[in-house]
Amino acid sequence: MEKADLSHHILSRFNADLERLRTSVLQMGGLVEEQLANAVLALVNGDTAAAEKVVRNDHRVNGMEVSIDEDCNRILATRSPAASDLRLIVAVIKTITDLERIGDEAEKIGYIGSRLATMERPADRYREIKHLGRAVEQMVHDALDAFARLDADAALAVAKRDRMVDEEYEAIQRQCITFMMEDPRSIRRAIDVLWVARAIERIGDHAKNICEYVVYMVHGKDVRHIRIEDVEEELKARSSSAAS
Amino acid sequence: MSRESSSRDQWSHLSGIVWQLASRVGLVVGLSLLIGWIAGNMGWWLALGLGTYLLLQLRNLWELDRWVRFRSVLHPPDFSGPWGELTAVIARIYRRKQFHKQRVANLLREFRRLTSGMPDGAALLGQHNELLWFNQKAERWLGLRRKRDVGIRIENLVRYPAFVQYLERGDFTHSVTVLQQGVQQHWLSIHLVQAEGSKQKLLIVRDVTHEIRIEAMRKDFVANASHELRSPLTVISGYLDALADDTELEETWKEPVREMRRQSERMRILIDELLQLSRLENSGELTDNQRVDVCGLLSLLRKDVLSLARRPAEINLQLDTDVCLSGAETELQSVFANLISNAVKYTPPEGRVDIRWWRDSEGAHLSVADTGIGIAAEDLPRLTERFYRVDAGRSRDLGGFGLGLAIVKHALQRHDATLTIDSELGKGSKFTCHFPPERITARAYPAVAGN
Repeated sequence: MEKADLSHHILSRFNADLERLRTSVLQMGGLVEEQLANAVLALVNGDTAAAEKVVRNDHRVNGMEVSIDEDCNRILATRSPAASDLRLIVAVIKTITDLERIGDEAEKIGYIGSRLATMERPADRYREIKHLGRAVEQMVHDALDAFARLDADAALAVAKRDRMVDEEYEAIQRQCITFMMEDPRSIRRAIDVLWVARAIERIGDHAKNICEYVVYMVHGKDVRHIRIEDVEEELKARSSSAAS
Repeated sequence: MSRESSSRDQWSHLSGIVWQLASRVGLVVGLSLLIGWIAGNMGWWLALGLGTYLLLQLRNLWELDRWVRFRSVLHPPDFSGPWGELTAVIARIYRRKQFHKQRVANLLREFRRLTSGMPDGAALLGQHNELLWFNQKAERWLGLRRKRDVGIRIENLVRYPAFVQYLERGDFTHSVTVLQQGVQQHWLSIHLVQAEGSKQKLLIVRDVTHEIRIEAMRKDFVANASHELRSPLTVISGYLDALADDTELEETWKEPVREMRRQSERMRILIDELLQLSRLENSGELTDNQRVDVCGLLSLLRKDVLSLARRPAEINLQLDTDVCLSGAETELQSVFANLISNAVKYTPPEGRVDIRWWRDSEGAHLSVADTGIGIAAEDLPRLTERFYRVDAGRSRDLGGFGLGLAIVKHALQRHDATLTIDSELGKGSKFTCHFPPERITARAYPAVAGN
């Protein structure tokens, strides 16, 4: 009887550890979301102070990555988790790397934003960047929601949206090339805008990666470098065979 | 009383059942004994009678059991005698229970319907901040999903860093405002409520976008209007200065020009104060922290006051510590200047003003105490509001606009400091600023000995 109680206690503490790990990953995600939103907003509004604040805050994201990484190592060393617990930890280690990269890209956008704020603003007031930024912010948000809910279907739906982001990036690229050809004086600014679009597009890729880790965490299947439609079909086949 | 009578009723019912049972058993025994006596072999007949009776009872018991288990309450089995009475009692209990259940369910449904129509979003959080229940508005504003999200921790889904910090700090006296980015920007004000001793929390979320926009408009208006008023005023006062110094001015015009100069000077001060206030409001958090020598600042301010023609007889400055503050010098200077000039303004010439700067474990403090007219208790809470004056006519005579303490409050807020006011009508007032220990910095070089 006593022994059973003891093992139950250890298990529940293990569960609490895992739960805390998940929560801290999502908190880091929340910070990254805010950084990204502020960076894009600062760029669109030409707000130098806000852009510099994003650059200054990046160290907080890095700090969280290091501390979560340490937690993961500690759990791996002391609990030797198996099956879904192990998958959770592996997914967490990968997710925080991607989140940290998103933070770096946001920092880059903030840095370029503070420089662009001192230049003449284009007539469209960076409408395309704003639109692309919104789409990617939503992708990051939904990817993290899928992580919190362990919802593989939602994760796949988010991953699909990456293709649209890529297309929009292409459009901005073409537009910038047109600007540069029309007016060579705008080359400097157009290159900066291209860098920002590139950074946002990369963030979309990172959000897609996070979605793939969610699928891995839930189904135990590595879905990287596979077409999403194939993944969906296989998961459907698997769930129907499990049902029958 | 009624309880007693009902329990007596129950007893009489019970004794009735027992009596019926006993009489029936007696009847069976009597009948079997009679037949046995007539037919001979009394023992066998008795056994047969009791056995039959027992079988009948077992059948009743089986039916009762089936009825209770499957709970077709409205159709109790048809029994006679004590079994019938027992089933009636059980049916009555069931019916009452079902009635209560229905009532609670109705109440709950009504509550859900009401809360879903509520203008505010509401969510119930459990011990570990997991979602237990939320209404439609909360679902929409916080991006939750019905049913699926119950049991998930709130901070995993509502990830605004400011909100997570608020949740962790555990101090729910104020609400927290977060900006929701999306197709449209929304400002959400989130407030947590925790009842004393309860482990559950109620989360209330409100869309305050409209309020924030109006507030921003008001700030912009004040800033722009003051700015636009200043340039024409500079021209007017420039010509008035020239006119006042003109020796060829007719004697009859001298007094009006002097008065016009005084009034334009008053207007300039008002606009400057408005601009200062709007600057304090609009600039975000303090960024350029420099070392501010409070002792030197206070000594200078005292010297300024001593040079005034009309002032209280005694102006005492007591410096118990020589620590400096980290902050913006111009803002702190205007805080101290406003407090001291208020004290001087409202204290009669025979009174005294005591300024004290000291330090303890809670931080550094500055107090300005006077023996002036004092402030009534009902005016204290509103004192730092813009344009609030206890006695409008009197303070206008003294050249006040009711902006000084508003500036003090805003500047102190930016330095994480608080202001306390103790006052008694007719006896004097004491304004004290409390600066937290984080704001204290040591002096770079030792102060000159003595105060």
